[in-house]
Amino acid sequence: MKTESLDRLRSRIVKIDAMPAIPVILRPLLRCLDQPAEQVDMNRIVELVSYDKSIAAQCIRMANSALFSRNTPAETVRTAVLSLGMWRVRDLLFSNSLSQVIPNNRWVVDPSVFWRHSLGCALVSRRFAEIIGYPDPEKAYLAGLLHDIGVLVNCMVAPEEFKATIQKATIEQIPLNEAEQATLGFTHCDSGRILGEAWKIPPDLIDAIELHHDIGDPNRGGPLVAMVHLSDLLCRLRDLGYGYYEPRQVDFANEPGWLYLAMQFPGLADLDMARFTFSLDDYAREVGELVATVFAGRGAS
Amino acid sequence: MPNEATLLKDETVAPEYLADPAWIRIRDLIYQVSGIYQAENKFYLLVSRAVRRMKVVGARSPREYLEFLTARPNRESEMRNLLNEITIGETCLFRSLPQIDALRKVVIPSLAEAKKKLAYTKLRFWSAGCSTGEEPYTLAMILLEETQSTLKGWTFEVVATDLNDRSVAKAQEGVYNDYAVRNVPPEFMKKYFTKSGADYRVADSVRPHVSFSRLNMLDDSKMLFMRGIDVIFCCNVLIYFDGKSKTRTIQHFYNGLLPNGYFFLGHSESLFGINDKFRLVHFPGATAYWKAVETSVKAGTP
Ligand SMILES: C[S@@+](CC[C@H](N)C(=O)[O-])C[C@H]1O[C@@H](n2cnc3c(N)ncnc32)[C@H](O)[C@@H]1O
Ligand SMILES: [Fe+2]
Ligand SMILES: [Fe+2]
Repeated sequence: MKTESLDRLRSRIVKIDAMPAIPVILRPLLRCLDQPAEQVDMNRIVELVSYDKSIAAQCIRMANSALFSRNTPAETVRTAVLSLGMWRVRDLLFSNSLSQVIPNNRWVVDPSVFWRHSLGCALVSRRFAEIIGYPDPEKAYLAGLLHDIGVLVNCMVAPEEFKATIQKATIEQIPLNEAEQATLGFTHCDSGRILGEAWKIPPDLIDAIELHHDIGDPNRGGPLVAMVHLSDLLCRLRDLGYGYYEPRQVDFANEPGWLYLAMQFPGLADLDMARFTFSLDDYAREVGELVATVFAGRGAS
Repeated sequence: MPNEATLLKDETVAPEYLADPAWIRIRDLIYQVSGIYQAENKFYLLVSRAVRRMKVVGARSPREYLEFLTARPNRESEMRNLLNEITIGETCLFRSLPQIDALRKVVIPSLAEAKKKLAYTKLRFWSAGCSTGEEPYTLAMILLEETQSTLKGWTFEVVATDLNDRSVAKAQEGVYNDYAVRNVPPEFMKKYFTKSGADYRVADSVRPHVSFSRLNMLDDSKMLFMRGIDVIFCCNVLIYFDGKSKTRTIQHFYNGLLPNGYFFLGHSESLFGINDKFRLVHFPGATAYWKAVETSVKAGTP
């Protein structure tokens, strides 16, 4: 989007006070996790979890759910965190804090569908990064998690029009960004960039947010954008999308993002893409469990 | 139909019995003829099925049965009977809904558009390893339905083949019980089946579009004749094959497809490392392989 229209959108968001605030827990969490896995301080994570009673309860509930339960039930936050493992706790913390970014009654899309897609994309991006040998899989995870964050802004800044946009996308079976362009004149990629800048998240994550649908020249956004773009596509094709049918045929190996990655990461040539795709059905199950935990006991909006 | 495999209990066999070296010979023979390779851990399956045949022909030991398969005058027909016994497979109508959606919403429209440009208005589908006919009838019903819209004025045929001649005979009957039709959407049920007693009979409007025959996919001379196909379904068949026979069969499929044609495998089957000419394509909830239209030979290749 052109800079001037982006500016116009920004002032519109600010004027009606539609810019969601960054969740309190997000910054310390990002800092805490911004180091190699071995060095992440478990005590600090337990502390962050304990901050928030509802998050702590969720951790314990999830640790005792069918998927993770062990012989002895987890009763304290510490045992729950240990039994879930750090990454799953992190998933919970993120989706939790992010799901409170906008008030319950402002959601235009179904929040559980939105988080299913975002978390799915985060997991797939990270897996993808690991497979091809991208040096920072956790960054890929975060980029996947945040890529559609502009949807939240849209819920706030233009609720009625955005509702119509979603309907249009569902009925015409077209990608969300195309429907947005037609009805709103801007996309969640544009509003996502604005939010990312306001939250001062790292610039490469902001690029992933802005370019994930239309990556343009792959050199601009680099591997992170390409990975998130492909992961988003894949999630939409494997039951981790926005819940409507997009009739299309995707030839991943000939997608510009794929070709770009293949040049930099020879590991991509060894990827059995069909098998990778089938393995997503397991991810979908795990993500479903997580989202169910986050939304259990919270009234539907 | 509820599968025979689930109705007929496999004979239980003692572990010592499995150790008879004649079984290895029989296993290899089956592999040679049909490409079906029974790994050691699935050996009991082969043996329990073969034991049924041994009882019928009165062979007292695996060695003696091996003789029935190799030396006796009617060895060919006995081999066929044995293959019938071991290839009874799980199937049902409308087995994979994402595949069906992909066909109706993406594949058929794209084929129709491309072929119309060349002034063709006929489609040819092939169900390879069709078992008792559920898959090819499903395809024919989908295509019939599409002749109301995307394929108005078009003709089509579904060629259906299987190694198991008993399955082929059942397929020709086209009568199914309620277990086999459990996935059929109500609109299709109403239009394309007639009730006969407790069973469901495929409607006469569907039958002329499907032709059945026995075909061993490892029979190169016969496979060579399978040409001019738009869409091939070979689902849950190659799982019985080892790498070499897979490669060979896939090559035949590739040659048999028209440019722009599609090849569907069963859920969770992949061609990775088996064929690199086909392009893997994704549809919502389903994957398939696509034979790209050849755009002039690359510069520099001899
Ligand atoms: C599990 S059934 C699949 C039925 C159907 N395609 C489906 O997916 O529902 C496998 C079929 O493959 C057939 N088959 C196995 N080896 C074969 C061969 N060499 N040539 C032709 N058919 C074969 C068997 O006879 C059996 O009917
Ligand atoms: Fe998006
Ligand atoms: Fe997305």
